[in-house]
Amino acid sequence: MKVGSAFILDKARVGEFIESLGSEMQIVAPKRQFGGDVAFAAIKHPDEISWDYGNDIHPPKRFLLPHYEVLFRYKTNDSIQIEPVMEERPQAIVGIRSCDVTALRQQERFFCSQICDPHFESRSKNTVLFSLVCNQPREECFCICCDSGPYLFSGYDVQLTDLGDRFLYEVGSEKGAEVSAPREHLLANASEKDLKLRDSIWLNADAKFQTTSYLAKAILFISANEVPQSVWDQFGAECFRCGSCTNLCPVCSCFNVEDTKDGDGAFTRWRYWDSCQFAGFTREASGYNPRATFGSRVQRRFYHKASYQYITRDGRHGCVGCGRCVVGCMADLGVPSVVKRLRRAVSEQAKLEAPA
Amino acid sequence: MTGKPTTCGFCGCGCALYVQTNGNQIVTVAPSQNHPITSGRLCIKGWYGPHSILNSNRLRTPLVRTGDQLTPAPWDEAVGTVASAIRDVLSRRGPRAIGVIGSARLTNEECYMLSRFARAVIGTPNLDSSCRFYDASLIPGLLQTVGIPASQVQIPELPKAGSMLIVGANVTEQLPQIGSRIAEAARNGCKIVVVDPRTSRLSAFADFFVRPRPGTDLTLIKVLLKTILIRDMYPDSSKQLPGFEPFSHSLGSVSIDRVEEICGVSVEAVSEMAEMLAENPPTVVMFGSGVLQQANSTEIVKALADLAVLLGGSVMPLRGHNNAQGACDMGAVKDLLPGYMPLSEESSRRKWESVWNCRISAEGGMSALEMLNACRSGDIEVLLLFGENLALSAPNTEASMDALRSVKFLAVSDLYLTETASMANVVFPACSFLEKDGTFTNVEGRVQRVRKVVPPVAESKSDMEIMADIAKALGAELPRDPQAVMDEIAQNVPQYSNVSYARLDEEWGQPWPRNEIIPKLALLGSNGEDTKQRYMFRLISSHVNFPHRTGSMSRMIHILAREYPEPFAELNAADAEEMGLRNGSRVRIFSEAGSLVRQVILSDAVPPGCIHVPYFFGTNTPNALASYECDPESGTPVYKACAVELEAVE
Repeated sequence: MKVGSAFILDKARVGEFIESLGSEMQIVAPKRQFGGDVAFAAIKHPDEISWDYGNDIHPPKRFLLPHYEVLFRYKTNDSIQIEPVMEERPQAIVGIRSCDVTALRQQERFFCSQICDPHFESRSKNTVLFSLVCNQPREECFCICCDSGPYLFSGYDVQLTDLGDRFLYEVGSEKGAEVSAPREHLLANASEKDLKLRDSIWLNADAKFQTTSYLAKAILFISANEVPQSVWDQFGAECFRCGSCTNLCPVCSCFNVEDTKDGDGAFTRWRYWDSCQFAGFTREASGYNPRATFGSRVQRRFYHKASYQYITRDGRHGCVGCGRCVVGCMADLGVPSVVKRLRRAVSEQAKLEAPA
Repeated sequence: MTGKPTTCGFCGCGCALYVQTNGNQIVTVAPSQNHPITSGRLCIKGWYGPHSILNSNRLRTPLVRTGDQLTPAPWDEAVGTVASAIRDVLSRRGPRAIGVIGSARLTNEECYMLSRFARAVIGTPNLDSSCRFYDASLIPGLLQTVGIPASQVQIPELPKAGSMLIVGANVTEQLPQIGSRIAEAARNGCKIVVVDPRTSRLSAFADFFVRPRPGTDLTLIKVLLKTILIRDMYPDSSKQLPGFEPFSHSLGSVSIDRVEEICGVSVEAVSEMAEMLAENPPTVVMFGSGVLQQANSTEIVKALADLAVLLGGSVMPLRGHNNAQGACDMGAVKDLLPGYMPLSEESSRRKWESVWNCRISAEGGMSALEMLNACRSGDIEVLLLFGENLALSAPNTEASMDALRSVKFLAVSDLYLTETASMANVVFPACSFLEKDGTFTNVEGRVQRVRKVVPPVAESKSDMEIMADIAKALGAELPRDPQAVMDEIAQNVPQYSNVSYARLDEEWGQPWPRNEIIPKLALLGSNGEDTKQRYMFRLISSHVNFPHRTGSMSRMIHILAREYPEPFAELNAADAEEMGLRNGSRVRIFSEAGSLVRQVILSDAVPPGCIHVPYFFGTNTPNALASYECDPESGTPVYKACAVELEAVE
């Protein structure tokens, strides 16, 4: 099976396909929860998958970078004994959205280049992503402005497009080809007509976005340091420092480590999500904090999302337009509204500074 | 993450959390997207609290005192020790020598069982909860006005308000989901008027921030009411409200012109407040501990409720504890039976006597604070505390610790060996909200399901089981199944008649139904004279985001504790300069009751003549500075605007 090939997976055979895949690995898929909530969860039966869903507010990054994970356990009784804890179970994330695929590839660049994080790498190696194109973006989505959706040209292992009674099944990587091959008998070759239908569905999805964000301008202003400090300070005054923006962001990767006592000289080293919006995150041992004010911390977050320095290092800007910060912010400091306010502030500043 | 969410056990917002576990450990916490309050958001406590509660320094076994030492003991020994102390006092002194104090942390089922345990099993009238120290004054204040001791408005409705008055509440930090709706309302054009002596983080969203002198809210609100009244700025229909005549008459002696002299707020400013509120209906009036812990707090609550009633608006009291509303609903408060049925009324007593098959004496009991005094005098010999770190929540920490040390027998159930537990004769390890089933009622009166998501840590038990164990040792049977207890509550407490676990397994909890209650206007008494002239400074205490209440739980959360490595106090630069203090100087803050030392941070958020002392972790608490002075009507101690003095510490 070749990378780049396209197939048809009939919806009548999806159950069989998932069952077959599930015999080799854990299937993580969108699953109905309580009161209308849908969240990614390990499923046992294909019927548990809720194909008709927007997105999970809690990003699927947690299946590669868990909210809380044990890195190792150790004992200090006689000599120090360290027992590493590695997760090696293969898993398929089925139905992951394009924005989250893009975000996970960014996480891989962060954790697996230069100094490689073995815990993340092990999970990443054992994970295959079956992304599902969004035919209907949600109100807060703006991936179309971030080169990360509603469909992808690369980054996925397998990409599914809902064509009505069948999925278009595109193989995007060697890993995708490898997991598809044993199930090729459940797939049919895609026709020109199928590809045309896919293109029209994609175009249709492009036209449905309700939120847009002119990120390019924010990248320019932030990189050129043209945003007046007073604007950042105003954002800082509004911030609740709840940590939701960073915890919900599929691209944010900052973490803290903490040891807990298990008794009898045994300890556990935990890693968990941390947030640059907390003062304690950047405070140094001396007590000095280079990001002491709320405003400077909001500024830091947006520098990391949009400054050219990071774009050069990471290969793209740090926002995939999933819209979770729009929903999750206790104030209104999601990316689109911040970008809008930055643009307005800089242009007003320019008017003030223009020669008469 | 699969299955059903539970309800967060930190603040009164009541967010729905999904908690995913791996064995006994929490690996993920996630907000619900569709829950009407949570809406895909959590605050720092919700995100980080659950994992830390399981992994912190929890009590693992019961502890029994021998001499100076608390030593691990089996459950039956600990329970037996408590039961024999109770039996001994009952035979020698009778039930009035026993006090029972619960907490707004417990579930509704546990609070209800606490009422039954105290009144029916032990037979003591001395039953109260931590609400006495935080917000008990809203019960008489609201019962006499809006008719229900609860919020009249739901959190999701807040963004539709036309105007809001927010008095004495650090909402964005203490009740973030409500703060979030205030921010949304502001974006929708709602006029936000904030009254607080200190500029809080609400200032980012406020149209008008009024900073009266600490302790002068009653005068300010009365002047505001009178302004609205004489300028005829209220709906005509309000004239038909019960109590309108005596209410307006009671404002007769209020002098608008003196507002500047007393409150430091100009007549024009009050006029502007009146216009913003009266011209932008519907008006929501909110108030927090800044009001509820002030001198004359019940009177201020009445004045604020009068304002809402007069303008045809609604009130939302801002209660910080997760189950403050439920604890009061369940009658875990002095002189009330479940469902706010007054102990003094014979029909209420008859009702509960028949439900619980017992005799209930008409004689009133002691408040939590009175019980502390009685511990010292010896009138109380056995004090049973469930889930409350009384040493830190009571005023005058030194005197309160002394009282707890001097009581003959103290039993405490808690998650941790708190300051209070470490003085006890017997300590029971209790479960957190993650380890038991039940319900909490949030600030809106929304009854929500709490689900056991992990097994109890070590040997800990729920407070309900602990009460049932003690009752059993005393020869009485109490139920241990939360669902059966809720069925009994639903049958007998009118506000909970629609609540059932089966229903809560199908849909989100609903605020308790409000029958057609006609609000009335309460007449307002005269202010007490301010006599505290001896010290120069006024204390502004506040609950900042990170430490929660007494901090028993939140100090165990590393991310929270990390935010403020050292307790601080904020002082205006002018005062600091006069005293030769700089940023980072250390200052001793003292009153007639006690003292504490803090690092000074200069801040223009604090007005001259005041010092802002946030609550922190442990005994370094502004409560140490408060005396046993109380609001006369509700018995809530006066923690706010205490007179204090400062001195530099070398």
